[in-house]
Amino acid sequence: MSPETQSRIRVTEYLDLDINREEWMCNRCGRVLGPARENYKRGCLMHERDPREIHPRVVSADFNFSPDPLWIRIVECYCPGCGTQIETEYLPPGHPITHDIEIDMDSLKERLRKGDFVIRENRLEAAE
Amino acid sequence: MPIPTLAEKLEWLKPAPATPYEIECAAKVPQGDYEIGVQVTNDILDEAMEVFVRSSRSYFGVSGDSMVAIFTANGDLINASCGTYLHAIIQPIIIKFIQKYYQQNPGIKDGDIWYTNDALYGGIHNPDQVALMPIFHKGKLLAWGSAALHTTETGAIEPGGMPVSAKSRFEEGLNLPPMKIAENFEIRNDFLEMYSAYGMRAPAMFISDLRARCTTADRVRVRVLELAEKRGPEFVTGLFRKMSDTAEAGARKKIRDLPDGKFRSIAFNDAIGMTPALVRSCYLTLTKKGDRITFDFHGTSPENPSSYNVHPQAVVGHVANFMYEYMFHDLPICSSTFAPIDFIFPEGSIMYPDKMAATSCCVYIAMQTRNATQNAFAKMIFSNGALWRQVAAPPGSQHTAQICAGLSQWKLAYSDVLSFALNTMGQGGRSAADGMDSYGFAWCAFGRAPDSEQVESELPVTVTLSQHWKDSSGPGFHRGGSGGVQHWMVHKVPEVISMCMGNGSKVPLGQPLFGGYASSPIPGISIRHSDLMKQMADGNPQLSLDNRDILERQSVHGDWNYELVARTPKPYEEGDLLFGFSGGGPGYGDPLEREPSEVLDDLRKQIISEWTARNIYRIAYDPERRKLDAEKTKQLRDEERRARLARGKSFSEFEKEWNKLSPPKEILQWYGSWPDAKPTGPIIR
Repeated sequence: MSPETQSRIRVTEYLDLDINREEWMCNRCGRVLGPARENYKRGCLMHERDPREIHPRVVSADFNFSPDPLWIRIVECYCPGCGTQIETEYLPPGHPITHDIEIDMDSLKERLRKGDFVIRENRLEAAE
Repeated sequence: MPIPTLAEKLEWLKPAPATPYEIECAAKVPQGDYEIGVQVTNDILDEAMEVFVRSSRSYFGVSGDSMVAIFTANGDLINASCGTYLHAIIQPIIIKFIQKYYQQNPGIKDGDIWYTNDALYGGIHNPDQVALMPIFHKGKLLAWGSAALHTTETGAIEPGGMPVSAKSRFEEGLNLPPMKIAENFEIRNDFLEMYSAYGMRAPAMFISDLRARCTTADRVRVRVLELAEKRGPEFVTGLFRKMSDTAEAGARKKIRDLPDGKFRSIAFNDAIGMTPALVRSCYLTLTKKGDRITFDFHGTSPENPSSYNVHPQAVVGHVANFMYEYMFHDLPICSSTFAPIDFIFPEGSIMYPDKMAATSCCVYIAMQTRNATQNAFAKMIFSNGALWRQVAAPPGSQHTAQICAGLSQWKLAYSDVLSFALNTMGQGGRSAADGMDSYGFAWCAFGRAPDSEQVESELPVTVTLSQHWKDSSGPGFHRGGSGGVQHWMVHKVPEVISMCMGNGSKVPLGQPLFGGYASSPIPGISIRHSDLMKQMADGNPQLSLDNRDILERQSVHGDWNYELVARTPKPYEEGDLLFGFSGGGPGYGDPLEREPSEVLDDLRKQIISEWTARNIYRIAYDPERRKLDAEKTKQLRDEERRARLARGKSFSEFEKEWNKLSPPKEILQWYGSWPDAKPTGPIIR
């Protein structure tokens, strides 16, 4: 396993954290998404979608099994390298994008340095 | 007696420090005996739960959406049955209130039964009622036992116990602060008469459920006493202490082994009572540091003048549902698992309203906290080698909570829920598998759909179909579990009064995870003057009993109504048809990564439509032979990835356009200020 791989931690299905370089990366293609102390979504390509494109109407009525686009939109975050859909969020139109993951980098690095954690198969394991 | 303050409630949720006597007793419990002792508590709870299910009358009880629990002498939760975890975790508040204020008058004695359903004093909402019994061994208080169950009647302004049009607690019927209802093992007749006055819409169910709670709590008492007789009271006290310490150590270790940081998730709700309205029902910031976690709900919408508010401890209860199903699934159900967890509730928010607020439909708000918690925890625990398999999107929680009331075919007054649509929700897509189809009830994973023939024999409805509903679940690499649907035809009586609680008609409930999509919203659908009974009587060979087919072809004729799922009481005549849906689970991961063979399986099982297979999953196949065209599928998926790269904008470019948008003002009446959801004025009740 290369030193680079040993420094990568899977934070979500598609989001890796390179702890040495303090960078977010796409798990599928390795594309660097940006600084790990910032919201990873800033490094993604963003798209807002009318929810009816995913959840089409089943009946012709006001209430019809489809979300109302005046109430809610789908915000999609893509990897700019491979086009993987890294995250989606259902938000009212114009609602601020959520900064959902804010890992304390200093604490994590310190705990790795002290041996509280080891990285095994790209995941954190507590040292026994 | 003062209503407990928020500070008192939060303090009482935490376990009391160990006394020297408890430490001494715990030290005498050897390994081996400890494990056997833990199992004995499980056996006591399992047996009591069986008693509970068999003696309950309401369909919540029959379905097992209930809870039996054991507490220490000072009221800390020690273990609970597989059931509605949300009930168990908050009952220490009630016991500690009783011990603080009622020790002298009326006193706490052997043979007492205490009872409450008031959320101001530590409950969830007033249909949820709990019986608690102190367990005395040779004159000394050794433990407490309890049994909690939702009964679908409270004598409120609408039948069913969850009035969607209530504006204050004064319209919600029975609200009992903790009180002693039995002495010397006998329920007081004066209490029974007062209680019955609130249950006259459904007296048999109302009183049977009360007695079921009492007899179940007593079964716990009897079995704990047997353990004390067999092994000695010191063993029981030591066992409980050790269980509490073990659970707390386990919880702290799990939390410590996660990365420190902040994790956020937001949830929205689309109904305030029977009014379509957008609120930010949960803005959750989790702060994890060392072996502690803080839940901060600042940013959640303000309280409103409907029954869609929730008192803080009921929010904690809903958090517990996630914690015990996933995060702490292998720990005893103890108060001590919440010792390292703190909560911050902004006063005046929808989850910390005024004491006069109506909260009978609180579960629709509080469930959004559970959903947000599950979403935020997924982002906190996925990096952990031991816990990542516990990652899942939240369950499908939108549902048709249809209440029917009136006189049954047996001329008996009834008011009950048609609970198939509660107990067949889809689980959220998981990190290592799809969500389970119709896995259970988001409020009680162990709930089971009641037997349709039993429902038909007791209530004036005929169940004309029960099936999964197509495209209910959220697409994803691992899709959400499918929800269920039943059609209920009013039958054997001239009419019923029916209403419905709920949400999720405009906005999907539960955020998807890691690039998946949410599950479908649910409308409220009914057909008045339907010809279904006639078509069945005529033996119409064209009659289809497939939900999607009936919806698309309107093959059952009559006056179709499509409404918000929350509906006020209205009469329905014999032959009218009501549709009951349980929500599918949201999806996990990018749908373009789903194995094409699994998409074909979903088609075969009628979980998804051909439209979804082609347009969301982008697979190419021969529809007649259901044979995959692998090459073409790869080509379609590559094309979609390229299309994403072409249409995606940089974050700053996206935000520039996005920030100009906002929802229509008329739906933001109860949201608070846009977009930060701060209170905009006082609520007059």
